[in-house]
Amino acid sequence: MIVGKIISILDVSIKVILSSNDLEVGDILTTEDGKFEFEVVIIDSVEATCITLNSNHGLKKGTKLIKKAKGIEMEYSDRAIGRVFDSYGHIIDGKPFTSEKRIVTSNNTISLKDLDLDSKPLWTGIKIIDFFAPIQRGFKIGLIGGAGVGKTVLIRELIHNIYNSTSANAIFIGAGERSREGKELIDEMEKNNLLDKICLVFGQMGSNPVSRSKSIESGLTVAEYLRDEKKKDSLIFIDNVYRFIQARSEISMELKEILVENGYMANMNELISKIEERASSTKDGAITSFQTIYVPADDLNDEAVQNISSYMDGQITLDRKMSEKGLYPAINVFKSTSKLVDVNIIGQRHYDLLKKTLAYYTRYDELEEVIAILGVDEISDEDKNIFYRTRKLRNYFSQPLFASEAFTNMPGVKVDIEDILNDVENILTGKYDYIDELSFLYIGKYNGK
Amino acid sequence: MSIMWDEIAKNVMKDIDSNENVFSTGKVVNISGSMIEVAGLKDVAFYESVSILNKAKGYVSAIYESTVNISLVEQDAPIVIGDKVYTLNKNFKVSFSMDSLGKVVDVFGNDLITGKKFDTLLEFDVETKPIELVERSEVNREFLTGIAGIDLFYPIGKGQRQLIIGDKKTGKTQICLDMIANQKNSKMLCIYVAIGKTKKEVKEIYYELTKIGAMSYTIIVASFFDDLPAKSFVTPYGATSLAKFFMMQGMDVLVIFDDLKKHADIYRHMSLAARKVPGRDAYPSDIFYTHARLLENGCQHIGGGSITMIPVVETRSGDITDYISTNIISICDGQLVLSLKKFNKGERPAIDYGLSVSRLGGQVQSREMKKVGIKIKQDLLSYLEIRDIYELVNLDDLGENMKNRMVEGQKILSKLNQYKYSPLTKEQMVVLFDDIKEVK
Repeated sequence: MIVGKIISILDVSIKVILSSNDLEVGDILTTEDGKFEFEVVIIDSVEATCITLNSNHGLKKGTKLIKKAKGIEMEYSDRAIGRVFDSYGHIIDGKPFTSEKRIVTSNNTISLKDLDLDSKPLWTGIKIIDFFAPIQRGFKIGLIGGAGVGKTVLIRELIHNIYNSTSANAIFIGAGERSREGKELIDEMEKNNLLDKICLVFGQMGSNPVSRSKSIESGLTVAEYLRDEKKKDSLIFIDNVYRFIQARSEISMELKEILVENGYMANMNELISKIEERASSTKDGAITSFQTIYVPADDLNDEAVQNISSYMDGQITLDRKMSEKGLYPAINVFKSTSKLVDVNIIGQRHYDLLKKTLAYYTRYDELEEVIAILGVDEISDEDKNIFYRTRKLRNYFSQPLFASEAFTNMPGVKVDIEDILNDVENILTGKYDYIDELSFLYIGKYNGK
Repeated sequence: MSIMWDEIAKNVMKDIDSNENVFSTGKVVNISGSMIEVAGLKDVAFYESVSILNKAKGYVSAIYESTVNISLVEQDAPIVIGDKVYTLNKNFKVSFSMDSLGKVVDVFGNDLITGKKFDTLLEFDVETKPIELVERSEVNREFLTGIAGIDLFYPIGKGQRQLIIGDKKTGKTQICLDMIANQKNSKMLCIYVAIGKTKKEVKEIYYELTKIGAMSYTIIVASFFDDLPAKSFVTPYGATSLAKFFMMQGMDVLVIFDDLKKHADIYRHMSLAARKVPGRDAYPSDIFYTHARLLENGCQHIGGGSITMIPVVETRSGDITDYISTNIISICDGQLVLSLKKFNKGERPAIDYGLSVSRLGGQVQSREMKKVGIKIKQDLLSYLEIRDIYELVNLDDLGENMKNRMVEGQKILSKLNQYKYSPLTKEQMVVLFDDIKEVK
C-alpha cells in the first residue's frame, strides 16, 4: 500500500507527504522497486521525516513509498548464535540462513522490579585490571580511551580470557569501528572454533550513521533472547559505544535539530539510557558487558563520555602517556575504578595493598618532577625507595597479552589474583629491592629469579 | 525579490512544459558562493549532474519542496540569477583517462601540466558502496618503504591505512615520496592525492618524482584551494574510486592523501555554507564519517588486489590530540608521528618512536624482519624511557644491565638515521643491527 510521496531529499533524510494515516514512528518504508529503505522518525500532520538506511544517491522527488515493516527486525532464536549480522538484521557471513523468528529491535528497558544485583567476582587474568579495578559478573565495564591507546586490543584480550574460557554465550557488537578488525575477529573465531557460542553484529565506520546507530539495538535483542527466553547468562562486548552517540548526533544535525555543545543532540541521556538499561541482569540471567568508550580529542570531560560512563559499574581508563612509554596495557590507575573495591568484598589484604600502591604512585608523580631537575641522588632515602619500587610496580603491571602476540612476539599470560597480591606485596615491602626494574617488564607472575 | 522569484518560477513552469521530453530544466534563483539554488528541475535525482548553461557544472546536493540546491564543481564564467540549469540525466561522476600514468591530473580528466583535457575518459562513481566484510581478507603482505625506522618497528601491510602526522616542515611529504620511490620494482601503482597544497609544491613533487624515475608508475591527482570547494572535497573520493577500479582487477595500489586536515577544513566550509549546525571546533558532526568512509576503502580484497592508504595530517605545536587528528588516528591502522624537536636535532626521519603505532605489527612482516624489529624496538623504547630519568646519573653508578641498555640504546638511535632517497633492502636492515648486544 502506498503511504506517501517524497517531497524533499537531503544526505541521510527525506521528507514525505503522506496519503495514509496508518503510519507510526519507527515504521520502515521502501520504494516500490525496493532499492531504497527508510525509517520514520518524525510525523508532523501530513508530513513525515524519515532517515535513510542506505544511501540517497539517485533518489527522485515524487517517488512513491510503501510500508514494509513495523521496525528493524532481528533474529530472535537460537539460529542467531554463531552467525554474523549487519545492523538491520541481515546475515552477512555469506552462508545460507533461514529465519525462525524475528522481532523488532526497539525493545523496552527492564523495570526496577526485574533488576538483579546479586553477583560473583569475575577474574580476567589481566594484572592491572584485577588489581586496580576488579570486575563482577553482571557488571558494566567501560574501557575509556582516546585514539590509538589500545581499547580494541584490551577488549580482544577480554574476549580471549573470559569468553573463551567460560561456557557463557556472547554477543559482539561492532559499532562504528574498523571493518578490518571485524573481519579479523571473525576469522580468528572461526579458526579457533569459537564461533559456536557467539553472535556478531556489525555496523562499521564506513557505513552511514543510521547503520552505525542501529547495531547496538540489534545486538541487545539477541542478548535479551538469551536472558528472557533461554534463561542464560551472556557476555556483551561493544566496540564502540561512543560511536552510537556520534552517529545519532550526525542524524540530529541532518534533521536540523538544535544541538548542544560540541554538536551533540539535546536528548543524549535518554538515548544512552535506552540502550544501557536494556543490557542489565535479571534473576533469569546475568548480562556482563564490556564497552569501549572512545574519547574524542583526548577530552575526558566530553559530554558523551561522561554520560555513558555514569552507567558503568567499573571503568578502565587508558592513558596516552603510558602508551608513549611502551607500557601496555596503558592504564591510568588513578582513573580506573570499580564498585567492587570495598574491603568487605575484595578482602583486607587486597584493599590495603591497593591503597598503599596508589599512595606510592601519587608520590612517584610528584618525585618525577623533582628528579627531572635535581637527579635521583638529591632525594631522601625514603623517597628513593618509593621511587624505585614504584618504577618496578609500573613495569610489573605491564603484561604480555594474547591479543597482541603479533606485535610483541611474546606469548600471552593470565595471572592469578593471589600471585598478583604476593608480587605486589614483595615489591612494596622491599623484598625485591635488589632486582633491577627491567626484570619486571612484560612478565606474568614474578618467578623469584 | 519575491516578485522576481515568482516570475522566474512562472517561466520555469513554461520551460518545463515545452521541454517535456528533453531534459528537466530549472532557473537559478539564488547564488551564494559556490552553492546555488534553483527553481524547477522537478524530475531531478539526488546527486545528479547538472549544467548551468555552458558556464558551470555541479551536482544536486539537496532537494527541497520547491527548490533544489546545486554545489558547483567547475565554473568558467560568472552565473547570474535566471540562468538556465539542465540536468544531464546521470549521477555526478568523476572521470580519468587511462593515459593518466605519469601525469598530474584533476578529477575531471584534465592534464594539469599541459592544460588540456584527455581524449578518452572513463567515468567513475564518486562514492561507491563500502566493501563488505566477506569481500575483505587478512592484511598480511608486507609493503616496504625502505626506511628502517618504519619497516622494522611500524611495519605497513598491503591494504593497511597508516597515518603520517606531524607539524609543518617535519618531513611528512618526504616520507611519502620515499615510499613511492621504493616501489620501483614492486608492480605497485601509486596515486598521490594533493589536497590544498600550493601549485608550486605540486610541481616540485612532480619534478622530484620524475627525476628519480618514479613517475612511470605514479599518478598525481591534485586540487588546489582556488578550485571550487566541492571539487576539492570530491578529489580524494574520486581518486579512491580509481584505485578501487584497479584493485578489482587484482592490482596493488598505494594512495597517499596529502593532507586530510585541509580536506576537513574544506568540508567545514561547505557545511557551514549549507547552514549545517557546527559541532566541535565548528566542524560538522559528520566529519568523522566523512573520513571514515573514505579510509575504509583501504583493504586487502579477496580478489588479490589491495589499496594501501597513507593519509597525512598536519598538526600545530606537535599536538596530535586535536579533534581531526584523533578522528583520523582512530580510523587508521596506525600512525607515524613526526616530531619537530627531533627534526631540529638532526634526526632523519624525525619519527617519535614512543607515540607511533602500527596496529598490525608483526602480522605483516617476514620472519627475519619481525625477529629483529620486535627486539630492537623494545630495546629502543625502554632506553628512551629510562634515558629521561637517568640522564643526570653517572653511568658507572647504574647496574651493569642498565648501563648496557643506555649504551646500546644510543647506538640503535644513531643507526636509524637515514637520508632521503636512500632506501635499504630488508637484508641491509637486518644486517644493520647485527652488532647490537643482548641486554638482560
